[in-house]
Amino acid sequence: MRLLRQIRLLLVAELRQEIRSFEVVLTSAFFSLVMLALFALSLGAIPASAQVAAAPGALWLSVAFVGGLTLTRVFDRERESDTLRALLVAPVDRLAIYFAKAAIALLVLLIATAVLVPGLVVVFPAAAPMAERPLFTAALVVLGCVGYVAVGTLFAAGLATGSGKNVLLSLILHPLTTPVLMFNLVATRALLEAHPGADAYLGRMAAVDVILVGLGAWLFEPVLVGGGGSQRRAAARPGRGA
Amino acid sequence: MSAPITPLEARGLSQRFGRKRVLRRVDLRLDGGEIVGLVGANGAGKTTLFSILSGLMAADEGERRLGGQAVDELSLELRARFAYVAHRPQVYAGLSARENLELAAGLRASVGAETLPSDQALARFGLSDAADRLVGAFSRGMAQRLALARAFAARPEVLILDEPFTALDRQGRELLAEILADERARGAAILLSSHDHEMLARVADRILHLEGGVIAGEVRRGDDDPDGERFRLAALALWSGPAGAAEG
Repeated sequence: MRLLRQIRLLLVAELRQEIRSFEVVLTSAFFSLVMLALFALSLGAIPASAQVAAAPGALWLSVAFVGGLTLTRVFDRERESDTLRALLVAPVDRLAIYFAKAAIALLVLLIATAVLVPGLVVVFPAAAPMAERPLFTAALVVLGCVGYVAVGTLFAAGLATGSGKNVLLSLILHPLTTPVLMFNLVATRALLEAHPGADAYLGRMAAVDVILVGLGAWLFEPVLVGGGGSQRRAAARPGRGA
Repeated sequence: MSAPITPLEARGLSQRFGRKRVLRRVDLRLDGGEIVGLVGANGAGKTTLFSILSGLMAADEGERRLGGQAVDELSLELRARFAYVAHRPQVYAGLSARENLELAAGLRASVGAETLPSDQALARFGLSDAADRLVGAFSRGMAQRLALARAFAARPEVLILDEPFTALDRQGRELLAEILADERARGAAILLSSHDHEMLARVADRILHLEGGVIAGEVRRGDDDPDGERFRLAALALWSGPAGAAEG
């Protein structure tokens, strides 16, 4: 109950800041449109059989880039004001920070996919099954993004408190999220190919998400504040002085 | 109310950054109802010591305790009775002053801790007129006032302030000095650093000099020094002259 209340408080604060600027949402949505335009120009004329392979790649590649952008910006707010360290001293459960950050990143990613998916259906006619099975597609996108965000939030937080720079996030994030994205890609392709076992992929994605969210929650504190205890090393490199 | 979380104790704290030893077996004790000032040159290790004491950072060696409990093992309920104001204000630029305080109060309420009402906390630091303005538009001094308002609104038993007078105007420094005296009278244990030596000599009961990673000197306000003049002179001598213990 306490955890849920803290998550809600932190999430409301995130939403308030975002609604005042729409900085992350607008950037992500615009970037999604740019990705769509590039895919349309470069791959729009390929045969339908090739589109079945290209459309899932376009979707999850876009999610990877938009996700990196989103996670960077979500934690940049903390980095710029050094507020993450204030939270670490406050009576706040570390998990509340993890889930609040993951939730805002997920929300932004879902808004981006709300632009991407219809756009891909227009660009790639072979992606029409995504429009024909909207509930399946929505579940696929949500489950895929949850897995991505579960991993991404973990490492974005670690870099926000450490001395790492944003460029490191991309270097770390993309290799670590590749397995999740590949799994999402295979499931999306199964949908487009009307594979009889496509539905089973949703169950597997949900299972993977449970594992990833569990791992993310378990590792968040050590990654955030460094090795092991409830308050450890690198959370607060001295901001000034020594 | 459960047992107090004072004293704040540090024993044998050592910290190294690469090849540089920032702290060398630092011992410290801070009791309720006292204000201890920490002085030292830039890079002397004051912020590192504060980060370790507040639990944000682990020391290479040594232990730190609040009310006899290891800082690492404090529950959230006990942590709510401790506050730390860093050198940077650490307030959300995209929220208003009131929203910043309400967020902190809400988080504290979730662990059963009480907090001064936001309006009262803002008024205490002269921010009533700016309550609903976004903090991103605040001056550095106003943001510092807000950070202090957030910390003091928690009515903490132990308070660590890293250069709290920074960026405050004269009126703000006077106000903070009064509030520190009030908090000491309430029984709070306060550890603060400052380069405003005159102000520190005015508000502190003891002043420690951190130099070369060790507490190189200490002066203490004496009972037979009602106006604090001897203490002030001893404190000024402490950071301008050779290190050593002295009685103010």
